[in-house]
Amino acid sequence: MGLLTNILLAPFLGPIWGTKWTLDKVDRAVREELTDDTPIKEDLMALQLQLETGEIDDAEYVRREKEIMQRFRDVREWREKLGMPTSGGPVRVAESDETE
Amino acid sequence: MTAGEGAAEKSEPIPVDTTSEGKYVYCVIRLDRSREFGEIGIGGGARVYTVNHNDLAAVVSDTPIVIYDPTRENVLAHEFVNETVMREFTLIPMSFGTVFRSEKDVIALLKSTYQAFTDVLEKMQDKIEFGLKILWDRDKVVAAIERDNDEIRRLKDEITRNAASSTYFARMQLGRLVEAAMEDASNRYVADVHEQLKDVSVASRSNKVIGDRMILNAAFLVDRRAEKQFDDKVKAISRQYEDLLNFKYTGPWPPYNFVNIKLKLEKAT
Repeated sequence: MGLLTNILLAPFLGPIWGTKWTLDKVDRAVREELTDDTPIKEDLMALQLQLETGEIDDAEYVRREKEIMQRFRDVREWREKLGMPTSGGPVRVAESDETE
Repeated sequence: MTAGEGAAEKSEPIPVDTTSEGKYVYCVIRLDRSREFGEIGIGGGARVYTVNHNDLAAVVSDTPIVIYDPTRENVLAHEFVNETVMREFTLIPMSFGTVFRSEKDVIALLKSTYQAFTDVLEKMQDKIEFGLKILWDRDKVVAAIERDNDEIRRLKDEITRNAASSTYFARMQLGRLVEAAMEDASNRYVADVHEQLKDVSVASRSNKVIGDRMILNAAFLVDRRAEKQFDDKVKAISRQYEDLLNFKYTGPWPPYNFVNIKLKLEKAT
């Protein structure tokens, strides 16, 4: 039984360890991708342009806008988790000294 | 901008704090008394009014403390308020989605940024922005290039005449020549448009083009007194190029692309 478990698990253990190792290495790149909303903004502008030029209709626009909004929300969530600044939402004047 | 609102499915904003009411800020203007702008605010026609500090006023509406998604509906509401205010005032637009917790916090913003707001309002006095996007029709541009460029026309004729024997190399060369000629043409059109609009605008800014048909995505800052001249000029240029290029001309907008005040804001928890 022990041997069988090892054999059964072996192929899984391998890739999992492998993946973890790779994730550590690309952590920075992944972080950037998860927290950058520039491509989402570009997609939204492209979508608006498609509607303006009549390439898509209103229903299609609404459907795809919804997906894009979800991506904005996902990025915001990651930024919050990672303690990065987010745009929109409640703000107040920062209590910093007048250094400028 | 497309105004059609359709039966868009409403997405609820992300609630942050449901117990208190905040202020959504649209823009800052110079005004030393309070003023109402009607029930045109974000989130379904909230009352739009001013919060004043000395001779500055923030144009706001009441809102729950939420994060607004930049949906067409929300962005249009934000823009509509600014357009309405703009008819009478020079304004500094706030970024979409900026919510303060209280009137006190809005006043703190006006106080802490008083000088910068005043300076920029002075500079932007009677200035408006126009957006100009130019899309081209690749097929028509290629046709024009093949007509006007001797080398390309010759090569193409040759390939067509000797369809069977024409080499892969000749076709490759034609493709490369056309590609280069198109880039040249694009640069030439864009430079010409900028040149023609230089005298009727105060400043211009080129943004990243969207998609593969766009060759220009620019904003122009225009003096209100020169609005008609700018308008006439854009129309004349678009007639000049009507066979090749499609002009998307929008505005007047608040000077979104020409105001950049770094506000020292932090997340209010």
